[in-house]
Amino acid sequence: MASINHQASALKTGQVVLLVLLYIFLYFPLLFITYDSFVHNIIWPFPPEWTLEWYQKLLGMSDFHAGLKNSFYIGLFTAIPATLFSTAAVIGLLKYRTRWRGGMILLYISPLFVPGLLIGISTLMFNANVMGMSGKLISAIIANTTEDIAFSFLVILAQLVRYDWRMDEAAMVFGATPAQVFWEVTLPTIWPAILGAFLVSFILAFNNLEISYYNLGAIPTLPTIAWGSLRHGIKPELFALATVINMLVFSAIAGLFFLIQTGMVRFGYRGE
Amino acid sequence: MDTNKFLFFFKDMQTSSYALQLVEVEKQFGDVRAVDNVSLEVKKGEFFALLGPSGSGKTTLLRIIAGLESAGKGSVFIGGKNVTKNPPYARGIGMVFQDFLLFPHKTVGENIAFPLKMKKMSATHQQEQLSWVLDLVRMKGYEDRFPNQLSGGQKQRVALARGLVARPDILLLDEPLANLDRELRKEMEVEMRRFQAEIDIPFVYVTHNQEEALTLSNRIAVMKDGHFEQVGDKLELYDEPATAFVASFLGLNNTISGEVLRQENDFSFIDWKGIELKIPTPNGIKPGDRIAYYLRSEKMHINPHGKSNPVDGSITLTAVLRDIIFKGQYSDYFVILDNDEEMVISDVPDIESLKIGGKVDVSWLPSSGFSFAADGEE
Repeated sequence: MASINHQASALKTGQVVLLVLLYIFLYFPLLFITYDSFVHNIIWPFPPEWTLEWYQKLLGMSDFHAGLKNSFYIGLFTAIPATLFSTAAVIGLLKYRTRWRGGMILLYISPLFVPGLLIGISTLMFNANVMGMSGKLISAIIANTTEDIAFSFLVILAQLVRYDWRMDEAAMVFGATPAQVFWEVTLPTIWPAILGAFLVSFILAFNNLEISYYNLGAIPTLPTIAWGSLRHGIKPELFALATVINMLVFSAIAGLFFLIQTGMVRFGYRGE
Repeated sequence: MDTNKFLFFFKDMQTSSYALQLVEVEKQFGDVRAVDNVSLEVKKGEFFALLGPSGSGKTTLLRIIAGLESAGKGSVFIGGKNVTKNPPYARGIGMVFQDFLLFPHKTVGENIAFPLKMKKMSATHQQEQLSWVLDLVRMKGYEDRFPNQLSGGQKQRVALARGLVARPDILLLDEPLANLDRELRKEMEVEMRRFQAEIDIPFVYVTHNQEEALTLSNRIAVMKDGHFEQVGDKLELYDEPATAFVASFLGLNNTISGEVLRQENDFSFIDWKGIELKIPTPNGIKPGDRIAYYLRSEKMHINPHGKSNPVDGSITLTAVLRDIIFKGQYSDYFVILDNDEEMVISDVPDIESLKIGGKVDVSWLPSSGFSFAADGEE
């Protein structure tokens, strides 16, 4: 008995150690760069000499404000159509069963398998040569929407496979027109999935470098600023920039987590 | 085409006394004819059961009435109006589903008031109707709960209330008791008869459970392979089944089949695996034909061997008592006859003289069973 208990506790210790190592692996570089952005002696920052000078320099960069604004626009105006299109795609796919279903799903998600770089280059060619609009924010938004439809499609599909469409039939029998069915029954049940897809799309487009970079030319976004300044050697204000982006993304996720924890938002279909 | 239209118009005029009328309704799924030329009238205030085994097309027929499935051919009239082409939300129906299908994000009150809200009824009127129906189903005080906070029986009541609140022309029920446990089912059966009697809205009730259909309804249609085998008063169906399927589907039956040896008056004598039995002759049967004979367990009597006192004309066979299942007011007795066949008899419990393994006499009147030409299968 004693040896079994001993083995069990050894196993448990091992699992905890593994868990801690995994989290260190995931987050140590991010935490390190955050830490580094607040110290003067960035090369060997121990002991730290605390400073905010990198943040001051970042704010002083002429491109920073424009980049932040552009990234935000790309995130927002990509996430809205991507979420709308993918919601419609998932609902249509689940509601109207067809034997082409597998192929249709594949076509929706295959932009995920195309390297971002290729999407960037090919949309640049298409937008510039065929549509005649190169180097515009709108072409970056359109190009990002392509990829983010695929991502939000998967996020929404994963949630909506559990939705009981007979619920819609019930509503219809009780006098609801198709539009009323959607607003009264479907949407109130599935909106957490749609919100999740919106956030994922926003963050992906906001952070996107390779697709946006090709389509924007000289227009700055936060990732292109980071990429651009890297070519002149690693500058400490880059650490500050990375920290700012991380904080923005982190607060979006933390906000969502808070909503779930307080029960204001429930993810997934609750059933009865 | 024009004559057809005129005919439908004419029927439209005629049907005003019916809550529901189906005229030659058909539905085909691929190669399967799920509903095959079904016509039906349900009167106002009637409790009508659609009874059949799974796959008989009864649920498809209900969905056609609701408009959730389109009729391939034929017409559907509800409250005297031809609604064949109407979508479900323009039919004036209520429905209760097997899995209740309450809206999980709405409270009990909001769930029940949903049909009223869709009708854009005024808030005061909504409140009136809600309070009336909550009283009816005895769910006062539960308005603010969510469906996942209710028990199975309570969900069932809410589903019924939602079906009835808008006082539809007809209430459709799709196996509403199938997901409840036995005790609750008995309780809800009594309740449903009470609701139906109180509100005078016709119920069309789909079930595969003959007991439920017999308990609840006034009239029954027995369905098989997409068509009606028999439609009628429940006692008529039980006592005068029109087909072998109806005879075998209702009640607890002993099924006997054999070849006709000879005929005398209205009776045939068949060879039932070595025992010669006298049974009523079905139409057009002659010696050499095969007959299936359905004998209800409650039409038979059992007594200790030699102590039977059968009525005139009864058949008495000796057998060995294999098992007794006590049911309360009666018992089911399982006996083995001399030809090694088993029979079940429902009779009054008699613990004193009927013992397992003992010899017994089994008796019945030949005319109390139903005989049909056997269609090959047992």
